[in-house]
Amino acid sequence: MANVVLDELDRQLIDLLASDARVSNRKIATKLGVTEGTVRGRIKRLQQDKLISFTAITGLQMARKSQLAFIYVQAEVERTREVARQLSEMAPINAVLVTMGRFNILAMTLFEELDELVEVASDKILAIPGVHHVETSIAVKTVKYNARVAKITEASAMDGNGDEDE
Amino acid sequence: MKQDFSFDETDLQIVAELRKNGRATNQQVAERLGLTATTVSSRIRRMEDADQLRVVAVSDFAAHGFDVLMQLAIEVDSRPASEVAHELAQFPEVFAVHIVTGRYDIDALIVLKDFEDMSHFLLDRLGSVRGIRSVSPSIAVDILRYQFDVAPIEGRA
Repeated sequence: MANVVLDELDRQLIDLLASDARVSNRKIATKLGVTEGTVRGRIKRLQQDKLISFTAITGLQMARKSQLAFIYVQAEVERTREVARQLSEMAPINAVLVTMGRFNILAMTLFEELDELVEVASDKILAIPGVHHVETSIAVKTVKYNARVAKITEASAMDGNGDEDE
Repeated sequence: MKQDFSFDETDLQIVAELRKNGRATNQQVAERLGLTATTVSSRIRRMEDADQLRVVAVSDFAAHGFDVLMQLAIEVDSRPASEVAHELAQFPEVFAVHIVTGRYDIDALIVLKDFEDMSHFLLDRLGSVRGIRSVSPSIAVDILRYQFDVAPIEGRA
């Protein structure tokens, strides 16, 4: 994770693909003044190093679940890793961070109806052995959200990158 | 926000294909779904034009040199929370700001290059915003999952 060295070309490539990932290698090559082979090779390397991953982001009107909630979990310290792992496997959970602070785990979830949030937070998570306390906080207004920067985990790296046959 | 954007099952199937492989050509998507490349192309454009779809590269925090991810729960005092939130949103270190229900008023996610940046962020950035009563930070020590495929989409410049 540390010591990632990207050169100017990598950065330009990331910028271009962040605004539109469907631009062809040829167009990118022309724009950046390099060969198509270079573009293809660079993209492949960035994907393999889990520095970029491609995805389709849908707007709130197309999304079934568009309400964001933060779920704060207090778990026994010795069980924190296991609890976090279980949370990360729950389908409605979008993000799981092990944290140092008021709580040991911060999870984020998108939901549609309040019932779904209650079910996840108050039923499922609270029932995990080692969980002492759960607090939820609903995002009622998004002032800023940059979906183009994230943590690329194993799961997200496997998604959206099936272009091996090029 | 534009209301009444309508979409059908075919649009959702195209989105699902793009989630699997965002760089698939229109032709490849079309073949998988039994459509024509023209249909795929025009439907993608329609969703993009309505700001309901973006196919993008998501880059890792590390690609930008960010090694520290923190969540801040902020209490606001004597000032509208949305004003404080908008000021926070101007800082480059802040990549998400939400007004939230509960004990705190604002939830912010911030990224820093290293721990040395923390004093600068705390003293120079947060210190310049009026109305912050308290900040309760949580430092992420491990990220097991981070996957959002829904977001408010800003219009294209």
